Amino acid sequence: MSNAILSSRALAKSYLSGDRCIEVLRGVDLEVAAGESVSIRGESGSGKSTLLNLLSGLDTADRGALAWADGPALADRRAEFLGMVFQAFYLIPEIDAFQNVLMAARILRAPGAAERARAKELLARVGLAERATHLPAQLSGGERQRVAVARALMNSPKLLLADEPTGNLDEHTGDAVIALLLDLCRETGTALVLVTHNVAHAQKTNRQLFLREGKLSHG
Amino acid sequence: MPWYLYLALKQLFPTGRRFPFFTAISVLGVALGVAVLVISTSVMGGFGHKIREMTVDTQGDVQVRGDGLIETPAEVQAQLAKIPGVIATTPFAEGPVAIMHAQKPQFPALQGIDVTRVSQVIPLARYVHPAGALAELDDDSIILGSQLALALGARVGSKVEVASPLAYEKFKRDEIFLPRELRVVGYFEFGHQALDTSVALVTLRAMQDLYGLGGGVHGLNVKLAPGLDPDAMTARINAALPPAARLHARSWLDLNQDFLFVLQFERNIMFFLLMFIVVVAAFSVTSSLLISVVRKTREIGLLGALGGKPRQVAACFCFQGFFIGVAGTAVGLALGFGVLHVRDDIVEIFTKLTQSEAAMLRFYQFRHLPSYTDPNYLVAIVIGTIGISTLAGLLPAWRAAKLKPVEALRSE
Ligand SMILES: Nc1ncnc2c1ncn2[C@@H]1O[C@H](COP(=O)(O)OP(=O)(O)O)[C@@H](O)[C@H]1O
Ligand SMILES: [Mg+2]
Repeated sequence: MSNAILSSRALAKSYLSGDRCIEVLRGVDLEVAAGESVSIRGESGSGKSTLLNLLSGLDTADRGALAWADGPALADRRAEFLGMVFQAFYLIPEIDAFQNVLMAARILRAPGAAERARAKELLARVGLAERATHLPAQLSGGERQRVAVARALMNSPKLLLADEPTGNLDEHTGDAVIALLLDLCRETGTALVLVTHNVAHAQKTNRQLFLREGKLSHG
Repeated sequence: MPWYLYLALKQLFPTGRRFPFFTAISVLGVALGVAVLVISTSVMGGFGHKIREMTVDTQGDVQVRGDGLIETPAEVQAQLAKIPGVIATTPFAEGPVAIMHAQKPQFPALQGIDVTRVSQVIPLARYVHPAGALAELDDDSIILGSQLALALGARVGSKVEVASPLAYEKFKRDEIFLPRELRVVGYFEFGHQALDTSVALVTLRAMQDLYGLGGGVHGLNVKLAPGLDPDAMTARINAALPPAARLHARSWLDLNQDFLFVLQFERNIMFFLLMFIVVVAAFSVTSSLLISVVRKTREIGLLGALGGKPRQVAACFCFQGFFIGVAGTAVGLALGFGVLHVRDDIVEIFTKLTQSEAAMLRFYQFRHLPSYTDPNYLVAIVIGTIGISTLAGLLPAWRAAKLKPVEALRSE
């Protein structure tokens, strides 16, 4: 498929736990088109995080193939190709919200005026223009996750992987974060893979998938 | 600035924190080690320097002695004067005597000096009071060590009686013996206890009379041109002296080699032991950085996910150790030199509090705490401290670099 931003074939992953081998993923086929949003649901421990880690290239599959856009999944390309949001926010506590967003760019190159402007703009877009100079400890959970979303979008990725981004938030705040995430992805044409337990959140995406017994299925 | 240096600085000085405790404590730990190193090696160096200076000031650069008495000192002086690098020579005779004043006896070493020439070799006048007393010294007068004068209760103008072991010979032969009466024209103060309590100066003539030496002397002090190596010059002098004369030159370095060796050895051992203060401080830096790595496991995982490379993550922690080393060295040097600057006040307060002024003087020989900072030690302190601190960051850095992003992000 020409406009597939991500495609995986028969991804398999198992873990050795003591002398038992747990087959977590048993052949996952997934194609995500540019700008498309996909949700993945599944029971706790069904392997959703494992799958996202394979898709992001943070972890390697035992078997199967993975491609990003028009090339292979390489660790060196990751930071420019995709952004990640997690259940925990993983903000760096010593630096303020603005610097946390900018950090994504800083790791790739010394940030210039363009990067600073973009970080400011993203913070404004997630509704935290006034909180740019606040440290993570001075922000609420929802605000921290919004900083994390801005950071994930900092390098204008083609794909955003979100692993239960509302898992640590109350319902109301979670709804707001999901709405923001979907809006931002739509505006910027970023594809989204959203792992969630929340049916309402899942139903807002273009496609809803289930992870069950190591495989993805529709509906 | 690369991101890992930026982050290292931010971890040392977190945004919005007015006082970075971890950094301050770590820097202070290293600084204390550096300060103690600077102070102790400087004071030790000061003692060494002072002792060297005094040795040269009292012995000259080179001393020439014979197997016995040198009967013709003028001849030897003429021979020495021909050697290039020899600026001046002065003869001396020496030996213990009994000095009496107001029924108080003392038994110092008496030095007979050539008043007209001594100042060309040994800067005696600098230590003699009142000024000009050295010029006044004649065959019927004496200059006492300051502490000796005190012990005798003698002042300038007092008359003291001096008797040499020659008196004992005369007693045995039932001859009549009268001690020689000398007038005190001044006193000298080297600030060195041993010299100030047990040495007195007379003219060479007076000493030769007291000891019955005739025209003989015990040796000659030699002054060298500045900048010449005393040992090399000594070898040259020995080669130039006729073997038949049975004369031996020794440099002050050689004359005091045991002592100088002990001095240097003590300083090196001290340096080595005190360096452990820095090592201990570095261990505490290692442990706080290790704690920081464990506490930040998930953030480190995230940095990896954002494209940070393991060696960059390692550099972030290594740099923190390096920075603490540099800052600790700077603060430590300032602290060390600051304390050295007011060292006399500190010693004064300390001795007053413990009422140990007299004991201090007796044991440490000097009135003022001397200080000399050897640049070699300074360089060793700076390089050693920064090196050790950077090493302290290495273990945490290695731990951080080893973290795999997936596992780090999973960790609770
Ligand atoms: N590093 C690992 N070592 C051993 N087992 C693992 C490891 N990572 C995940 N697992 C196991 O794989 C299964 C799937 O985990 P995960 O992908 O985190 O599930 P989910 O995100 O769907 O809750 C779980 O049973 C978990 O215990
Ligand atoms: Mg999970």
